[in-house]
Amino acid sequence: MDESALILDAQHGDLQAFNTLVLAYQDVLYNTALRILNDDDQAADATQEAFLSAFRALNSYRGGSFRAWLLRTVTNACYDELRRKKRRPTTPLEPETADGEEVESPSWLADPHATPEESLDQAELEHAVQHCLQNLPEEFRAVVVLADIQGLDYSEVAIAVHKPLGTVKSRLARARLRLRACLQGFRELLPSAFRLEEESNL
Amino acid sequence: MTTPSSRDLEQLSTYLDGQLSQSDRTRLEIRIKSDPALASALEELRQTRAFLRHTPQRRAPHNFTLTPKMAGIRPPVPRLVPVLSWASAAAMLLFIFTLGAGLVGQLSFGEAATMPAPNTFAGNSAAAPATAAPATIAPVVAAPAPMLPATAIVPSGGAANTPTPTEQASIMAVEQATPPAVSQAAQLQSAPKIQQKPANIWLFIWPALAVLLAVLALLVFWLNKRAFQRKNPHS
Repeated sequence: MDESALILDAQHGDLQAFNTLVLAYQDVLYNTALRILNDDDQAADATQEAFLSAFRALNSYRGGSFRAWLLRTVTNACYDELRRKKRRPTTPLEPETADGEEVESPSWLADPHATPEESLDQAELEHAVQHCLQNLPEEFRAVVVLADIQGLDYSEVAIAVHKPLGTVKSRLARARLRLRACLQGFRELLPSAFRLEEESNL
Repeated sequence: MTTPSSRDLEQLSTYLDGQLSQSDRTRLEIRIKSDPALASALEELRQTRAFLRHTPQRRAPHNFTLTPKMAGIRPPVPRLVPVLSWASAAAMLLFIFTLGAGLVGQLSFGEAATMPAPNTFAGNSAAAPATAAPATIAPVVAAPAPMLPATAIVPSGGAANTPTPTEQASIMAVEQATPPAVSQAAQLQSAPKIQQKPANIWLFIWPALAVLLAVLALLVFWLNKRAFQRKNPHS
């Protein structure tokens, strides 16, 4: 069954149709929440909350990119979570050793299908990106996560963050500039990642 | 070589995504070729974007599917519905029965007051001792007669002399309540008073039950409608 039919059924109260959509989009929403929030549990909570809000507000969906519409609900849930976090600060994502030092490559970040070298690179890459994202203002972070990590186009990002296209372009440019400076510091640590990007430019 | 302005950098970022207009793109490409700082900035932005695109994607830690409870969907009213859905039919039957009981009650009242009335119906009026019954009672008995086809109006054959259970009860009550010495006229006067009390109670109970069942039927209808609307909000 195609997406439009599932959405239509879900709008008529068909929970099974909606859950089919949930299964199709849960990874995208969870990863978006994870990059914005930098916390597994909070990202899971925000994702669940987003799907719940989406089901309740499904009749307000009037066509267009359903992915962007769903990502808007998760972005809103993340902003709510961040506001809550500011009121009640929590411990950071990175676990600490017995000496109180941050573990930069936690074992649970590892991909079981990757080789040890790839796993290390991926973990380092993820850590580097996450670290740099946390230094961005929230509104910049959401835009760059949606555009560059989730691969949405400008119009989809505009829907997801509920801002005009001009604002999206401006925020994305500023976010990339800030990230550029931050990520340069990891260039020496992640030569293979930079090799990949150079290959992708060819 | 000049340091790119923030506007230049914004244009470079938009150019990178292929979102610049044709004219802006042409102008920028000319500038990039002539300005190494712009070319360098573009390359750094490209690397940054590529770096971000390689960020590993995690799988969701668990499925985020919604349960009916989470979604606020209640199952259609369970169990009581099949039972209560008969309430409207039961209410209708009770209502008809109440009307019937009311008429029978009226009839009993009349019959008790004019005990030999069945004899009158049977065409044995000459032998009846109460042929001098008040003329006002006769219409009361006669009026509902067309509405009671089976029980009171058409006693067939020997049934004419066989009292109905109600009549039998009234006769027994009269026999117990009055001493033999009392005249038949006195019996006829006291009988309605004894019969009237239980008949009145039932005349209240039956309509009350009918109203109760009708309310239940309406309740079931409303619950069903609400459950249906929850499941199909657009219908």
